[in-house]
Amino acid sequence: MSATFVEKVCVIGAGSTKYGKLDDSISDISIQASVDAIGSAGIEPKEIKAGYISNVFGIADKQVHLGPVVMSNLGISERPSLTIESACGSGSISFREAYANVAAGFYDVVLVTGVEKVTHTGTDWTTTYFSYCSDFFYEGQSGASFPGLFASMARAYLTEFKATEEDFAMVAVKNHENGLLNPKAHLRKKISVDDVMNSAVVASPLKLYDCCPFSDGASSVIICSEKFAKDHGKDYIEVIGSGRGGSPAALQGREHLTTIPSTKIAAEAAYKMAGITPKDVDFAEVHDCFTIAEVIDTEDLGFFEKGKGVEAVREGQTKLNGSISINPSGGLKSKGHPIGATGVGQIVEVFDQLTGKAGERTVNDAKIGLTHNFGATGASCAVHLFKSV
Amino acid sequence: MSSTQQFIDAAKSGKILSRKCKNCGHHHLATVYFCQNCGNREFEDEFLDGQGSIATYTIITVPPAGFDKYTPYAWVVLKLDNSELRVSGFMAGIAKPADLPMGTKAKIVGFDDRGIIIEKE
Repeated sequence: MSATFVEKVCVIGAGSTKYGKLDDSISDISIQASVDAIGSAGIEPKEIKAGYISNVFGIADKQVHLGPVVMSNLGISERPSLTIESACGSGSISFREAYANVAAGFYDVVLVTGVEKVTHTGTDWTTTYFSYCSDFFYEGQSGASFPGLFASMARAYLTEFKATEEDFAMVAVKNHENGLLNPKAHLRKKISVDDVMNSAVVASPLKLYDCCPFSDGASSVIICSEKFAKDHGKDYIEVIGSGRGGSPAALQGREHLTTIPSTKIAAEAAYKMAGITPKDVDFAEVHDCFTIAEVIDTEDLGFFEKGKGVEAVREGQTKLNGSISINPSGGLKSKGHPIGATGVGQIVEVFDQLTGKAGERTVNDAKIGLTHNFGATGASCAVHLFKSV
Repeated sequence: MSSTQQFIDAAKSGKILSRKCKNCGHHHLATVYFCQNCGNREFEDEFLDGQGSIATYTIITVPPAGFDKYTPYAWVVLKLDNSELRVSGFMAGIAKPADLPMGTKAKIVGFDDRGIIIEKE
């Protein structure tokens, strides 16, 4: 698939609330992140031509149709907005739709905000409602929780390749190390492999510390045409690749249980558009909803051969400033996973890294960053590539 | 009757209703309307035996609503013996990995409010 675009697209501003258990309402935090991004971009709200809002469970905080609420509170109620749901991939998939509209020349400046507010509902509610993101007839209906679906991939991986549960635990330890350096992360706590191994089993072989937390949070970016970015004179980064893909909705329909087809399809499209290979990527924010997911992601994205992702973790290659820094923000595991916000939050991290705002967790000399975010077990996926300017 | 209902009725008698593409021969579970392989819409129904072996599974200890009284239980992916197809479902009475080695022979025995019910052979 190829497309002819009118405009190159840039990110000129980014903002986020803290991720974690938040007291403010879903509308409040959506607007806080948006205002933060507008401030970062140094623009006026009136310059925004459209809003893309990603969210999954607004119903839990009594607010769906978030788009007009955000726009109204920014004083631009007349502007069009769209609220997008694609499970845990909502944020990056919404970003892609916004990107395509700017690239096509429909709008020159667009707000992309992702949000989730669910922690007040408790573990029973979230476990049950998140299972509705699966192919419910075949999965949720027969008692599959989300940890359970990824646990099934983990068991297949342990059977197929030379890997241990301790290898998966090392992913959690690494992401918590990074998250400790991120003031906005949900779980800012150093943990050990033993802590992971001794934590309660949620869905064998996955334990509590193999799982990302349920989080509240909102993230926002401002994207624009290259012309607007250049005229504006503020720091910006360029979107150099955008890829989307799909997988059979249910795990049972996939040829391999240890790979996620949509990641490969999306990554291939993004690399092709950018004219680069995985070797050119300096760091990546990948979808580590569970430790096994990060291992599979780094293989599917082409950073490591199939079955070698665990070796890379063992050797420390994926640590901050290792051969490729994976999840310098702390990832979903430590930074947190407000599902509708996550994909946008990854882009906020890339913006901060490539414009010198990442503080202690800076990836040295980074020029190209990748974001990878999927819905459910990777039934939907988006991969984006960004370059410093 | 919807294709989903036909699939459920078959599962209740331990069978999997599959659809074989009349154009390319690709097999699907009966809830599919177009061939994933060639896009054709014409299928031949085939009732497959519900016997197979465990391709992967998990043991759920933190369940979604309605499953508390069955916990712990296994959620399994079954590879059918006489087909390339896999089918996933609920398996009661599994508490630890030693209870269910990979490759264990199992079969579909029914369908109820826990979806497809699978038991060890």
